[in-house]
Parts: sequence; C-alpha cells; structure tokens
Amino acid sequence: MISAQHLTRRFAARAVVADVSFDVSKSEIVALLGPNGAGKTTTMRMLGGLIAPTSGSVVIDGVPLTPATAGTLRARIGFLTESPGLWDRLTVRENLRTYAALYGLSQPDRAIERVTDVLQLSPQASVRAAELSKGMRQKVALARALLHEPPVMLLDEPTSGLDPEITRGVRRLLEERRAAGCAILVSTHNLDEAERLADRVAVLHERLLAIDRPAALRRRLATGRLIVRVTGDPARSLETVRRFDPEATIEGPVLVLKVVDAEERTPAIVAALVAAGAGVVEVRPEMPALEDAYLQLMSRQGG
Amino acid sequence: MGLGGARAMAMARVRALLAKELLDLSRNRLALLPVGLITILSLVLPFGIAVAIPMLTGQELGSDADLVKVSGVAVGHESLTPSARVQLFLFQQFLLLFLLTPITGAMALAAHAVIGEKQARTLEPLLATPVSTGELLVAKMLGALLPTLVISLAGLGLYLGGIVATAAPGVAAAMLSLRTAMLAIWVGPAAALVSLQSAIIISSRVNDARTAQQFGVLIIIPLAAVLVAQFTGALWLSSTMLALLGLGLVGVWLLLVLLSVAIFDRDSILTRWR
Repeated sequence: MISAQHLTRRFAARAVVADVSFDVSKSEIVALLGPNGAGKTTTMRMLGGLIAPTSGSVVIDGVPLTPATAGTLRARIGFLTESPGLWDRLTVRENLRTYAALYGLSQPDRAIERVTDVLQLSPQASVRAAELSKGMRQKVALARALLHEPPVMLLDEPTSGLDPEITRGVRRLLEERRAAGCAILVSTHNLDEAERLADRVAVLHERLLAIDRPAALRRRLATGRLIVRVTGDPARSLETVRRFDPEATIEGPVLVLKVVDAEERTPAIVAALVAAGAGVVEVRPEMPALEDAYLQLMSRQGG
Repeated sequence: MGLGGARAMAMARVRALLAKELLDLSRNRLALLPVGLITILSLVLPFGIAVAIPMLTGQELGSDADLVKVSGVAVGHESLTPSARVQLFLFQQFLLLFLLTPITGAMALAAHAVIGEKQARTLEPLLATPVSTGELLVAKMLGALLPTLVISLAGLGLYLGGIVATAAPGVAAAMLSLRTAMLAIWVGPAAALVSLQSAIIISSRVNDARTAQQFGVLIIIPLAAVLVAQFTGALWLSSTMLALLGLGLVGVWLLLVLLSVAIFDRDSILTRWR
C-alpha cells in the first residue's frame, strides 16, 4: 500500500532524509521511531505528497506519487499532522464539515456522525475548537483524518500529549483500522506505544537504521541478560561462559552473561557448558526492552 | 472522473473553503472594522466637500472658475447650473475613491490569508487534502472580496441616497448614469479582484503577517495615482474607457491567478516558514 524507495530529501546541502526505503502493507501498522530532527515528519510529508523528495520515489496503493497524481492520492490518504491545526472559531462539526466537502464526500453528515461516534466526540460537536482541551483537539484532528475512510493513514505523533484513557482509545481505533485493511504509518517518540501497536518498527535517524518486528529488533540489536543455573559451584563454569561474554559474573547461585541475540546463542552456551562437564539446570534469557535496542542504535549513530 | 466531474469537484472545494472563510469572518467581525471605517470616511468626505462646506461658508461651488471649467469639460450636462455641475463632478470623482478605498481595508484580510493559516498551523492539514493551489487561492481571494463588496455596495446605496437627499436639483438624476453603473458593478469589483489577488500572492511569499501588510500597502499606490489624476482633470474616464479598463483589470486578475498558482511553493511554505 505504501512503498518508499530510496527517498532522499535535502535542505540546501544538508540531507534530512537519506536513501530511505521501506513498505507498509495492507492491514499493517509500522511505527517510525527516531529522535527529534531524525527526519520523521519530513518522511511523512514526502509520503503524503506535501513536499517533494530530492530523489527517490513513493508509490501509494499502486500509484506512483507525482505532481500529477498528488491531488488524487491525497484523497486516499488520511494525514494527521504534528499539530491538530483546527480552525479555532469554527465548531468541531464545522471543522469536519469543511474537510468532508474538500474530500468530496457525498454524505458528509453521516461521515461526521460516524467519526464523532467512534472517537466519542459527539458531545463536543457544537463546541468551538478554541474551547477544546489539547486531547480533544487531537481527537478532532484524528477524526478529520478518518472522515473519508482512507486506505492509507500517515499519523504524525497521534497520541502526543494525550492522557492514558484517550491514548488507549486511539490505539484501539488504529487496531480497528488495521483490521479493516488500512496501511498505517505512525511516527512516534513513544517506544511503549510502538511496541504495543506496531507490527513493525522502523528506526530512522536520517537513514533507516533498522526495520523489523519489535521483538526481533530487541533480540537482534540490544544486549540482553542470560541467567544460567548450573549444578554445584557456578565459579567452576565461569571460565566457560566467559568465552561468550568476557564480563560474565556470578550473582548468588547463578551465572549472568550479557549477550546480543541471547535466543540464538543459548544452544552454543549450553553445549559448551555440557562439554565442560557442567550440569545445566536452567537457562533463562531476560529480554531487553525495545528502548534498549533503540538507545543502542542511537548511540551507534551518536544520536 | 471526466472533465466535467473534476470541475464540479473543484467548484465544490472552492465553495467549501469560501463558506469556511465567511463563517470564520462572521465570528471575527472586528476584522471588517477597517473596511467599514474606510467606507464611512469615504462617505463623509464627498458630502463634506460638495455639500456641507459650501453650505457652511456660503461660498458656492460655481464661484470657482477653474472648477467650473474642469467640470464642464468632464461631465457635460449643460442644463445644470455651474454649482450643480461642479457638485456632480465632485460626486463622480469621489465615486471612484468611494469604490476603491474599501479595497485598501480588505487588503489586510487578503494579506493575512495564507500566512494566517500557516501561523495558526491550519495550512498543513489543508494542503494534505485534494485541494489544489488554484482552488485554495481563489477561495482565499473571494473570502476577502465578497464581504468587501457587500460593505461597498451598502455604502454605495447610502452614497446615492445621500446625493438624492442633499445634492442640488438635477445632480442625482445625472449621477444615475451608465458611467456610475460601470464604476460600481464593473471597474470597482475588477480593481478589487486585482488588488486582493496581489495581496494573496504577497501573503503566500512572505513569512510573517506584518511583512505581508507592509507590502500590501504598496498596491494602493496605483489606485492613488488614478484618483489624483482624476481630481486634477488630467484623467477623465468615459464609460467606454471604464468598460475597457474593467476588462483589462479582469485580464490582469486572471494572469495574477496563474502567477499566484505558479509561485505558490508548498514545499517552502511547509518546510521553511516558522
């Protein structure tokens, strides 16, 4: 549904996004993670046809994004901008009605009713946007992005500044859209949200540093702890496990190793211990958090 | 979708944006205060000069030989007394001022059109919709033009009503001419189109509202030049000339629409404006 190929965007000589390629399939949520200034918003804007890439290409729903197709494709994209951007003197309904007309909806009132119901905004429908709380404004902006039931959604920080209850509601809504076949790209700083919501996580820092399922990223990128319990004195097995982690330690009755991709390395560690005559009672990997994987990637970038 | 369908969609989008502009303005009526004040001033000034001052000083307008001469050449109407002819001349001259000055008030609205959306952070969601640059800019221009025209036409009603009530005999009848109609419904709106579209261009090229308004003031200079030339008698625009002038202004407006679309740089607006 969304395909970015070798996307690059420069501002003067400075590349903000460099050679970024990834796809988002139908019924998939991909989270775009990265620090401030990593190029997330610029990537979103290029995918939404708001700004042009310096080089590279975007294909939305099988149609190449060009100046000629941008208008048509924007009608198939639900774009949530970083800031809600509501017209303050207009009510929620008036804001949505204007956008319903811009999207050419044949039954605008029904569409407005649907999105305000889903996002529990009906009581606020006649309230002017200026009077809404930050969370409510974000919900209205999300309602606006959903009005035309787009098959593709690009959401820049959809839960930024929202309270946990609203955040959960938004997450549920996105899961429903995914189940309905929508391809969703969510830019976020929130690692917990990315892990809970996304099928895959893309880590961006000018370049695409990694893209994979959250669990696979954690396993592949971050150093996890491997807890090994052996029969007898663990000190006798210390030398064996230090072949895998030179800084392995003994913590009480167990050996503790720090290894990247613990799951893959466990059989070799167990085999080495058995070969050295140790009785292995338990091997328990402690999975690193996605945050560890993310921070490790960023530290490699100096970010 | 066929060409007809695409055009209908485009019109629907312009209507939607225009409705939003008017709704927004109706809830921010203070923004129309400059247009209203200028219209009132433009009403007070001609009646002050052509009616009140001669009445208060006791000096008839027809006692100024130069004015009589200029007005004779300009307005004709040999059957009127010299004073009535000068009065007609003044009312006709001020009509142009009256029709053009409200535009200067509306310039602030137009100059704020794009930069205002950007500063309110409402432009990016708007540009993420299928709306084209042309549709957006025409809707913005109409959003400033329509309220201005309504105020101008209401003022015109008062202006003509005032002439009927206070001017010398025969002046009101002479005012109701093809030339007046041409000015009111053709040249005035066409000049407004050009001025406001120019202001929209400025609004989409500068990155703060103050700069937009300062540049907008420059557009008034050609209008002022026409007014001065008229008052000195150096320029007298007949009905035919006014018809051609209006046509020329509409042509310029169309060129400005094309220019405004060509130079509206979504990329820069979104990435460089703060």
